[in-house]
Amino acid sequence: MRYVKGTKEGLYILIKEDMDLDKIKDNLKDKIKPSKRFFEGAKIVNFKGKKLTREEFDELKDLVENDYGMSVLGDYTQDTDLLSDKEEAKENTAYEKLPYDNVIQDKVLMVRATVRSGQLIEYNGNIVIIGDVNPGAQIKATGSIVVMGTMRGVAHAGSNGDYGAFVSALNLLPAQIRIGDIITRSPDGLGIRTSVPEMAVVKRGLILVEPYLPNR
Amino acid sequence: MGEVIVITSGKGGVGKTTTTANIGTGFSLEGKSTVLVDADIGLRNLDVVMGLENRIVYDLVDVVDGVCRLRQALIKDKRYSNLYLLPAAQTKDKNAVTPQQMQELTSELAKEFDYVIVDCPAGIEQGFKNAIAGANKAIVVTTPEVSAVRDADRIIGLLEANGLRNPQLVINRLRVDMVKRGDMMNIDDMIDILAIELLGVVPDDEHIIVSTNRGEPAVTNNDSIAGQAYRNIVKRILGEDVPFMNLESDQGFMSKLAKMFGFGKKK
Repeated sequence: MRYVKGTKEGLYILIKEDMDLDKIKDNLKDKIKPSKRFFEGAKIVNFKGKKLTREEFDELKDLVENDYGMSVLGDYTQDTDLLSDKEEAKENTAYEKLPYDNVIQDKVLMVRATVRSGQLIEYNGNIVIIGDVNPGAQIKATGSIVVMGTMRGVAHAGSNGDYGAFVSALNLLPAQIRIGDIITRSPDGLGIRTSVPEMAVVKRGLILVEPYLPNR
Repeated sequence: MGEVIVITSGKGGVGKTTTTANIGTGFSLEGKSTVLVDADIGLRNLDVVMGLENRIVYDLVDVVDGVCRLRQALIKDKRYSNLYLLPAAQTKDKNAVTPQQMQELTSELAKEFDYVIVDCPAGIEQGFKNAIAGANKAIVVTTPEVSAVRDADRIIGLLEANGLRNPQLVINRLRVDMVKRGDMMNIDDMIDILAIELLGVVPDDEHIIVSTNRGEPAVTNNDSIAGQAYRNIVKRILGEDVPFMNLESDQGFMSKLAKMFGFGKKK
């Protein structure tokens, strides 16, 4: 359990909701004392996590400043929301304000590797492969698939039936693409080789492959 | 009721998969309905050699696990309408199926097809046991190398122990010029050691590499000497008496092969 949290503003001392004053003191002793020299002179912005009474705050401040040589900058406040909650809320609103239609906010699995024959990467969300996907390998995502390399294996996007999912690759030469329950395979023979990044999407019930950067 | 033939060798890289693809395609050329079963789960190749890799949706393990019906997993060949492939799974391993399940699967297939040809993985472990489980005939492939012959001998013993008596031998990748110089084991030596019936000899042929890479079995290529050898093997399995089966002497056979080489070159 982390007991000190660093942020842009400075250090916070985290206190668990269910601890009483004596327990907090014991804990501080256990955790700060062994590294007293490290914390000496440190500036603590405030306490976080538990709503303290005025008396508790003063007592803790006194203890931290006199026994451990740190200084508490902040004043007593009732607002003890954990910082992380605020951060998450901020991110969500930032994404909602973006002026684009095609914004996906979902879980992403990033793989920095060459995915080889016989390897199956399956994920409940989107998959990004930074590397190549070789023939015989399979990528299966409930969301979309992005390959930052050459896609030669089997890609199955929207595996839960989402026809809005896509498969894109810098070099899209897959054995097969599946989106939802629609399956398409590469043409026999070598086919047309393009070197532009392409994207496979579902249009009118068919899988369509097209460059997504038309000006390249 | 069709026949279930397993193609095996023990040693890897001697040409089991190539032989499976060519004999299977050869059967369909002869008008026999044929299904090729890739038992090499986790290291499948037969689909690539047949040029059918991009058609795979379901595989053998899906059938065994009841994910799909047997019909759904069968891939129709792009050239011959009486030829099908049951591909292996690539993301699983040999333990994904049991010999019992393979036996049920092949007997199911034998009801519908004249020939069920099982491509066996290298080795003598689970994969081998799975592949031979449902077979009622075995073809052992070897090359003229001491190690391959040693492994073939071991395999013949294991086949016999599992009730597959009288397996037949295919000698693959023979180089006539090297045999003549005495640099390669000759056919008689191999037959002498292995003591089983010779089904055919396939000479080393560049066409095989080209056809493997293109996904078109050499047996369909009339210019390929190996393709001719496979066509003869198929005819022999079908009971035809094709010459250079009954080799009186190594010499006679060699001169025949040499003639074929000469013929091939002129073309």
